[in-house]
Amino acid sequence: MTTRRDFLTVSLVATGAALAPRLAGAAGKATTKSLTTVRESSFIKAFDDYFVKTLAPEYEKLTGIKVGYEAVSVGGMLTRLTTMAETKSGPEIVHTGINWPHLFDQSLVDVSDLAGEVGRKLGGWHEQVQEVVVVNKKWKALPWGNIGQLEVYRTDWFKEVGVTKFPETWEDLLAAGRLLKKKGHPFGFEIGHGFGDNHGWMYPLLWSYGGREVDRDGKTVLIDSSETAKAVDFCRRFYQETMLEDVLGWTDVNNNKAFLGEQISCTNNASSILVVAKRDFPEIAKVTDHALNPNGPKGRYHVLNAQGLGIMTYAPDQAAAKAFLRWLYDDKQMSRWLTAGDAYYAPFLHGYDNHPMWNAEPRYMPYKESLKTSRPHAWPGPVGHAASENVAKYVLVDMFAKACRGDATKDVIATAAAQLKQIYKAK
Amino acid sequence: MAVRPASVARPAPVAGRPFALGRAVEREGVFSWLMLVPGILFLLAFVAYPFFYGIFLSLQERRVASAGTFVGLANFAALAQDPVFWQVTRNTFVYTILATLVKMVGGLAMALVINQQFRGRNLARAFLLLPFIVPTVLSTVAWMWILDPTFSVINWSLLHSGLVKENFSWLGNKTLAMVSIIGVNTWRGLPFYGITLLAGLQTISPDLYEAAAIDGASVTQRFRHITLPVLKPVLIIVTMFSVIFTFSDFQLPYVLTHGGPANATHLFATHAFDVGMSAGVLGMGAAEALAMLPALAILIVGLTLYLRRE
Repeated sequence: MTTRRDFLTVSLVATGAALAPRLAGAAGKATTKSLTTVRESSFIKAFDDYFVKTLAPEYEKLTGIKVGYEAVSVGGMLTRLTTMAETKSGPEIVHTGINWPHLFDQSLVDVSDLAGEVGRKLGGWHEQVQEVVVVNKKWKALPWGNIGQLEVYRTDWFKEVGVTKFPETWEDLLAAGRLLKKKGHPFGFEIGHGFGDNHGWMYPLLWSYGGREVDRDGKTVLIDSSETAKAVDFCRRFYQETMLEDVLGWTDVNNNKAFLGEQISCTNNASSILVVAKRDFPEIAKVTDHALNPNGPKGRYHVLNAQGLGIMTYAPDQAAAKAFLRWLYDDKQMSRWLTAGDAYYAPFLHGYDNHPMWNAEPRYMPYKESLKTSRPHAWPGPVGHAASENVAKYVLVDMFAKACRGDATKDVIATAAAQLKQIYKAK
Repeated sequence: MAVRPASVARPAPVAGRPFALGRAVEREGVFSWLMLVPGILFLLAFVAYPFFYGIFLSLQERRVASAGTFVGLANFAALAQDPVFWQVTRNTFVYTILATLVKMVGGLAMALVINQQFRGRNLARAFLLLPFIVPTVLSTVAWMWILDPTFSVINWSLLHSGLVKENFSWLGNKTLAMVSIIGVNTWRGLPFYGITLLAGLQTISPDLYEAAAIDGASVTQRFRHITLPVLKPVLIIVTMFSVIFTFSDFQLPYVLTHGGPANATHLFATHAFDVGMSAGVLGMGAAEALAMLPALAILIVGLTLYLRRE
């Protein structure tokens, strides 16, 4: 480039070239030739691979529509969804989890018709999932399965201390943990700021002692109760007598790493630990098992984390997106996809209650059983924006964490109560 | 080389000749604006627009993917009532002040050492830049391993050297977690100080040191009366940048602790992100992000005024 005139000419041409496709696209709407889905990467690689290498090509062969797949790193989907909803651009078909259909209600297309069709064909939907995907009587996502958070433990080390069956109650688990810690096999339950493995056991612990954060009306804060105090006191003992100090700073990767590093004998996690152990640490896999969360004085609970797919309202061809979901959620496809997922996702369709995928590995069965006692985060409070704020601010996690490090029970509950009152705008 | 005035360099437009775009852009005034416009547009799009949009959001009760309602300063008032916000404020100041001080002292020491003549000096300078070059997320993941209770090389060294009897919980203990993130920030930011101060050191004429040495000045006196005064403007500028980067640090604490344990390492940026992007409370998140502004503005204005006075 020799002169300023040359420089300007090149710059103008480059700008024009960059804008040309957009201007051309605006001139007329083309027939849908492609759709894009965005999903958080699955811990089960075969699940993602099956979608990309088998299902998407099959659909393209059938309809001529290419289905792209954008993977988001684990824990990053909510941020991606927020950006997409705010900018009104991005993939048309999106992954939803936890309570996101409520958060993005206005950005998601009503898929009640599809949900009705799928439900009718496959034995009907489990009732509890409707709480997280149905907003104002409209289905905003089609769930494909739950990621359960259960107890993952070392059968050999439990046997060493005379525990041959996983303890039924939290108190019994504490007793076993004391013995195991003395033997050099502490427990490791996440009490830090991760995205799932902390709430995964803390909500069930609170609920099983009868504690609740907020009432169904979303206005009455219930955390300051004797039931919560009992759960907090238990958690402090559970931490001090069975765990590593480090769990207070753990995020979601740490307990997987610690379990597979043979550092801990029990944690709360999805089945991904066993899946990875089978692949990379077969000796550990042989002595790893799962169990339901223990019972408390007021029952047994698990958290609900329904994974689903929804359609964004900005999708240029919503009918094409719906047609794809109709095809994907047909038994011919969904059954194969779930099987590829190695029973990591527990489906919410009664037609799959006895799906053959559960027969391949009996150790995954508790994840299916846990559906009956699964509740959404912040239950029984409403599943909406306030629940998200509550979870994102780690109100419950920090209440337990502060108690574990030695703060007084009444102080940590008072702090949590004040935060919840602000979040739920309660008196 | 003699430079001709612009009026001589450009021929005057010929009367009646059609307007030519090429000639217009050849004019200094037009051309300089053309060169400036991309930069200005870039700043408007990526700095000014987000900044003013942030202010706009902070004055609204605005949940993600829904319309907002104007609430004035209510978000800021709510933050003032939130004990976690004040904890985050304390954390941010402790983190910034301690990390900046350590980086300043360490960076100065680093600069003084690599300013000396020794074999492999250039190689040493290149290696010292590595922490600054490696992407933060990548190096922070490495630090997760270094600070892991079981696999930690630090714990292993301390245990095997007999200095301690049990492993430290670097990220599980609230004090050690803060020490850890300050340590990692220092590791990453030290080269920035070191290299910038080295550039400052190299502007000092060796004659000054020689004269001082002839006059009997000790090493400490030479450092105090020659090195420090000459370096002061550079030191102030580099400190200003470092404070801004450290105050608004996000990647490092977010990856390493995500603000835990129990908010002990949550900083303005990480907490604002959680509130805005994870909780979906965009108005409050924006308000919290803007809460950084007054402290940074006071610091920048103060340092700038000081520099001008100097």
